[in-house]
Amino acid sequence: MTAPILSIRNISKSFGGIHAVRDVSFDVHQGEILGLIGPNGSGKSTLFNSILGQLPPDNGTVEVKGTPVTGMRASKLNRLGVGRTFQQLSVFPQMTVLENIIVAGQEHKGTLTSRLFGPPDAGLTAAADQMIEFFRLTHLRDTPAGSLSFGQQKLVDVAMAFMAGPDLVLLDEPAGGVNLTMLAHLKERLIAYNAEHGTTFVVIEHNMEFVMSLCTRIVVLAEGAIIAEGTPAEIRANQTVIDAYLGG
Amino acid sequence: MSQFLQVLLSGLATGSIYALVAIGFTLVWQAAQTVNFAQGEFVMVPAFFVLVGMHVLGFPLALAVGFALLASIVVLGFVFKKLIVEPILPSGGISLIIATMALGILLRESVKEFYGAEAQPFPPLFPTDPIHVFGAVVSMQDLLNLVISLGVVILLTLFLNRTRTGRSMQAAAQNPAVAEILGVDVKRMIMYAFLINAALAALASFLITPVYLAKFSNGETLGLVAFIAAIVGGFNQIRGALVGGLLIGVLDNFVATYITAEYRAALPLILLIVIILLRPQGIMGTSEGRAV
Repeated sequence: MTAPILSIRNISKSFGGIHAVRDVSFDVHQGEILGLIGPNGSGKSTLFNSILGQLPPDNGTVEVKGTPVTGMRASKLNRLGVGRTFQQLSVFPQMTVLENIIVAGQEHKGTLTSRLFGPPDAGLTAAADQMIEFFRLTHLRDTPAGSLSFGQQKLVDVAMAFMAGPDLVLLDEPAGGVNLTMLAHLKERLIAYNAEHGTTFVVIEHNMEFVMSLCTRIVVLAEGAIIAEGTPAEIRANQTVIDAYLGG
Repeated sequence: MSQFLQVLLSGLATGSIYALVAIGFTLVWQAAQTVNFAQGEFVMVPAFFVLVGMHVLGFPLALAVGFALLASIVVLGFVFKKLIVEPILPSGGISLIIATMALGILLRESVKEFYGAEAQPFPPLFPTDPIHVFGAVVSMQDLLNLVISLGVVILLTLFLNRTRTGRSMQAAAQNPAVAEILGVDVKRMIMYAFLINAALAALASFLITPVYLAKFSNGETLGLVAFIAAIVGGFNQIRGALVGGLLIGVLDNFVATYITAEYRAALPLILLIVIILLRPQGIMGTSEGRAV
């Protein structure tokens, strides 16, 4: 087993008297596709936001590749190789697909002077075009992202998250609101990217079919605590999970 | 024909200065989703920085203008953002709007206290000699005001569209949470918007004060007209603020010359009402949806 790329230790977060996340610890290893599932209100999104510094935890630590990052600003985390996608649509609507993807990569190149006054493509057009081709969005390259369908915008969002060449990407409900054809395409592209680049994914998802067929390991949360952890097959057979989550 | 051209050029010159101030409104709106109601005072104060540079510090005019530009960027950009915008913005845009109204009053009364209520003479930056353009007599000052204002707007547009920082500023304005996740330092981008706004206000101040003289109350009318120009053009578009400013400047001059000067102050308000009724997003603006 390789050293963990993401290490979460004893994370807790409360809102008033409500314990949203309670003493959660787990590791994610290089190249894994880890699913984080649980019923509504189980603390998945709070945990996600705590990992990403958007909601600093009350207790516990987060490490990325051995570096403590608890409460670190998202822009700094991004520079450490951590990307994320959003549950809601998260493109820049007035920019074209190409411009969106270039913006996602440009903060990682060059000096302060070149960032201030350098040309906006930052030498990234070729890389952005490759990413567009990878997600089979070439026909939409010069279309304003705000005019794309929901599923197409989700693909652009994922392509943007990959543009900086992250080691770890946290995907927040990538299947939400996406039609079946687009969903199959998205899953196939995520698996292909993981195989080609060894990028680690942590996926929050409600679509059980999607998460079971995409992930190599699954962590189940209920009422803010981990109730099960294992392969998709083990989770399917776990009676505690069935009782708490699958309604069995 | 020569009078028409004369009125047109003079209107464009004034309108281009309104546009500088109006663009400041749109930049601050895009960066912080708020309206700076002290914007008129932000145009009034730099002229007094110039006077302080000349009369108190003994600088020659050119150095005093440089000093005033720097002081404006620091005080009306950096300090304004750090001391007022950052602490109050988390409480919501309305709180910040009220705070900027209070700041406007503070600036106005402070200048009146420090420099008096009388209009102070302000040296022209350019020769005021008249020149002939296609038969029309135009002052060199008006012509250079127009050229400089439009030049700055063009440079700003190129900066926002043709540089990486400009693209990052647009990303931060369109979707700050996502921009931050993608590595854009959103706080820095917002700061850039406030610094640029202060510099634009200072430039407008240097260009317009030789015409109006330096007076503590200068910002009242100018701030209102520029605010209306931004709405008329489209509050979320820089090119809209430019169009709005030029339109008001030109219409104002034409109405005063060919119809009546009596109601010229009402013209921007009439234009505002017409635009709000017919095209609420402004001439060049786009509709914005908000979750409530």
